[in-house]
Amino acid sequence: MKVLYRKLRRGIWSNRGQFFAMALVITIGISLYVAMSNTFSNLGYAQESFYNDNNFADHYFHVVHAPEAVAKQIASIPGVEKVTARIQQDVAVIKADGTRASARLTSYPLPLAEQVNSVALKQGRLFEAYPANGGAEALVDPSYLQANGLNLGENVEIIAEGRQIPLTVVGTAIGPEFVYAIKDLSSMVPDPKTFGIFMIPLNQAQEAFNLPGQINQILVVFTPGADTEAIISHIQDLLSPYGNLASYPRKDQLSHSLLDAELTSGRIMARFFPIIFLAIAAGIQIVLLRRMVRMQRLQIGIMKGLGFSNAAVLFHYSSYALAVCMIGALCGSVLGLLFSQSLNQLYATYFNLPNVEGYHYQVITYSFLLAAAVGMVAGLSGSAPIVNINPAESMRSQPPSKSAHNILERLPSLWQSLSPLWKMSFRSVARNRMRTLVTVGGVVAAVSLLLISFFMNDAIDYMMKQYYQKEMLYDYMVRFDQPVRSSELLAISRMDGVNQVEAFIEIPVKIHYNGRTVEDAVNGQAEGNRLKTPFDSEGNPMAIPEQGIILGEITARKLGAEPGDLITVETTLNRGEPIITELTVVSINRQLLGSVCYTSLAQANRLLHEADVVSGCMLLVDPGHSSTIEAQLSDITGINSIASRQKEIDNITSLLDSSMLFVGIMIFFSLILGLAIIYNSIVMSYNERKKELASLLTMGFTHTEVSGLMLKDTLIQAVPGLIIGLPTGRWLAVVYISSVSTDMFTFPVIISPVSYVLSLLVGLGFVLAGYWLATRGLSSLDMIEMSKYVD
Amino acid sequence: MAKEILVHLQDVTKTYIMGEVSVEALKATSLDILAGEVLVILGPSGSGKSTLLNLIGGMDRLTSGELFFRQQALHSASNSELTQYRRDHIGFVFQFYNLISDLTSYENVELAASLVDDPLSSAEVLEQVGLQERLDHFPAQLSGGEQQRISIARAIVKRPLILLCDEPTGALDYQTGKTILELLLEVNLRHGSTVVIVTHNAAIGAIGDRVIRMSSGRIAEIQINASRATPEGIEW
Ligand SMILES: Nc1ncnc2c1ncn2[C@@H]1O[C@H](COP(=O)(O)OP(=O)(O)OP(=O)(O)O)[C@@H](O)[C@H]1O
Ligand SMILES: [Mg+2]
Repeated sequence: MKVLYRKLRRGIWSNRGQFFAMALVITIGISLYVAMSNTFSNLGYAQESFYNDNNFADHYFHVVHAPEAVAKQIASIPGVEKVTARIQQDVAVIKADGTRASARLTSYPLPLAEQVNSVALKQGRLFEAYPANGGAEALVDPSYLQANGLNLGENVEIIAEGRQIPLTVVGTAIGPEFVYAIKDLSSMVPDPKTFGIFMIPLNQAQEAFNLPGQINQILVVFTPGADTEAIISHIQDLLSPYGNLASYPRKDQLSHSLLDAELTSGRIMARFFPIIFLAIAAGIQIVLLRRMVRMQRLQIGIMKGLGFSNAAVLFHYSSYALAVCMIGALCGSVLGLLFSQSLNQLYATYFNLPNVEGYHYQVITYSFLLAAAVGMVAGLSGSAPIVNINPAESMRSQPPSKSAHNILERLPSLWQSLSPLWKMSFRSVARNRMRTLVTVGGVVAAVSLLLISFFMNDAIDYMMKQYYQKEMLYDYMVRFDQPVRSSELLAISRMDGVNQVEAFIEIPVKIHYNGRTVEDAVNGQAEGNRLKTPFDSEGNPMAIPEQGIILGEITARKLGAEPGDLITVETTLNRGEPIITELTVVSINRQLLGSVCYTSLAQANRLLHEADVVSGCMLLVDPGHSSTIEAQLSDITGINSIASRQKEIDNITSLLDSSMLFVGIMIFFSLILGLAIIYNSIVMSYNERKKELASLLTMGFTHTEVSGLMLKDTLIQAVPGLIIGLPTGRWLAVVYISSVSTDMFTFPVIISPVSYVLSLLVGLGFVLAGYWLATRGLSSLDMIEMSKYVD
Repeated sequence: MAKEILVHLQDVTKTYIMGEVSVEALKATSLDILAGEVLVILGPSGSGKSTLLNLIGGMDRLTSGELFFRQQALHSASNSELTQYRRDHIGFVFQFYNLISDLTSYENVELAASLVDDPLSSAEVLEQVGLQERLDHFPAQLSGGEQQRISIARAIVKRPLILLCDEPTGALDYQTGKTILELLLEVNLRHGSTVVIVTHNAAIGAIGDRVIRMSSGRIAEIQINASRATPEGIEW
């Protein structure tokens, strides 16, 4: 068996180019698998343990306000394991430099540890309910602390009930409901400079909001197996006297749903990408082994004649594939773990999760098992023809390869117009069906991966354009603490450099239709507003109706409502009684993230039984005045938040660099896949036809003509591959997007013509590069050697 | 009337160098090849027959000496000049046919025909080698003798001045071998091509105008036959 081992080594060495190319493809496949599986395992484990350690809530109830004692009542319901009652409220923050930010002020009854949605301390110490020197203590999320250059012991200033209240930062902490810390879906990505999580003791929140003994949220953890629906409606009944504003399960919690969406899409990618690379590698291996077996028929016959069993010979040839796969698994695992490290870091910047790190030996084990399985399957099916080799027969010389007429010949006029060299190429491609299939498939895979990569780039482009050049055209969006008279906007419009002020109102509502209820917000736009525009599913801008409502697509889908239907809107402002109004659905708009329902400012006022209130405004300003305007706005205590479009763009752009890196890596990998497949295909066909090619040279064909023949072979396979690759890539993009789409997130598959062209060009690039790599040695074709030997 | 000298070799040597060892496959050889003659090169294995043939055919380069095709100095020709020379003037027939397996008989011949401006008609050439019935067959569907006929048809369709045949009957049975030789002589008569046949079968010498006997890289003897025997008439 030692001899066989040496033969194995020599066999690999003499085909080293091809084995190297395959090992490379497997390395990429395995490294993608390891990198993504490891990272998403990390993320998954971190999520699970973080949720468990901090009693992440199963269900949320929002009320206007209710007595603290209601928590005890709820806790006594069978099936309820834990209850926490708290106050949570978004507040304006005045930063040290006078500018605005906003914070989700979240309060906790003490002791903290046992509470639902408890927090994990990262730095400093926990707050105390009654600090010795008076005042109030807070924890902030580490990203906010870092982004704003705060130190422990410094104060943050919030505005509550129109008063400015200092909170002393005593530590940083993260909580399971703030893993992905965005204010709402319109922000897309976290912006820790302008949005933070502030955590304080419940008693301090009650004082700040002037709600002694009251709370506005109930968080519940159910005992496993409990009849949650019954419990939820029981709790809703209990809470109904206090103004049921909202009730939603964990899966609708903002941070959780986004983290889950990331995990889902990550897990899909962790399977999808490696499978493509491994499948192509397996295909090449099968073809390569079949060729080896054919070429070494005589040797195999001799080995069998010497007494080696079928199984031994089969195993010997399979071990070529296995060896290559194991090398790929080894390199891929190492590379994958390295990638995983940077992916972990990338996720750490998006998600506030502890311990997204570590290596999972199962992932490595799986990667080796996966590679071994690919190697065995490819090896055995590649060398299966060995079983049929008869020692005696193998000694006879083999007739020339059997060619046949192909489909093209059914069109005699076309076929006759081809030169003999083209005919040779077509027949060779048709004769080697398996190889052709693998080559075309490989090119299709590479090109569709290219297209998907470019599409990701397009998607980001599209999103930025749609969002910041079409939907929102304002420089600033200002939101007040609560609805105000529209005359309040006069002060703003009189500021120096303010060119335009457009009023709007946002009203939290429940929409009922046909027995279904969805919590949403109605956005009332003043007549003539043009700084924020809804778009329909075809991407056309829509006019705001004076009466009736434009539903968001997601809300419409959940309700089952269509244009013309009459829906019921119930306001859920946290003061005053809910008001119920019936509205006609005028049309349906599409948002990339989340859902917004539009109506006119006048109609929105009617929903509140008001005539002239607004909750915010959008501004166009002179660029030169923006900082003074921002400062002036910050001084107005009634203003809850000031969003700067430019700052949002900057923030997103800075985060997108890492996605661009990912796109770049995918393009690079697709290129290598394409290169490897073309290289292997040419080398195989070259090796098989060496003798024929040499005989062309003796007849007087030039080297250029002979390598041109190889190019013809390549193009016959690559061109259909390139062309099929484009629709396949688009199709895969559609499948991918629909598999990662969630209630909150959906995306049109819009691929720019440039991406198609680029995919084709890069595809053509790897075809020519592979051709060049493979035919470099062609000039060494030895006519004399070739003329001497039979196969 | 003196026959034209097509190829002239003057003190041609060919030495193969393989690392430390060098093999002198051809030692200071001078020879003229005449238009329209049938030349048989005989000699034991390793005596340099194929080496000589390949040099004449422009497939290999000499180590020293001079080689002319008419006035053209092949010893100093560039690779592309050699290719052009093979394309325009040389037809090769090998022991193992070396047909293109992906082309039919007809297409194999067409392939060669496509190399020159004024080829013979492929169909006629195939008829001449007796394979008009097999135009649409692939090499794998033909017997050895039939494949060799195709390879002859492929060589002559270009109207080469010189047909170089290395062991053309080497892989064939006795009777088939004879018909191939007949075919070669017929080509010589009909098209006036010079035919050079390399073989280790001494009996075949009788069909040539001249017979060159080689031994260890040298021409040992040149024999001129008063008349050529027909392949039918020889025995081996
Ligand atoms: N490419 C090569 N490299 C090294 N030596 C070679 C090469 N080709 C031929 N030789 C050597 O040159 C000598 C002459 O070889 P050649 O092929 O001309 O012999 P031959 O007369 O055709 O023999 P045969 O009848 O066996 O075909 C031999 O000793 C051979 O080993
Ligand atoms: Mg020889």
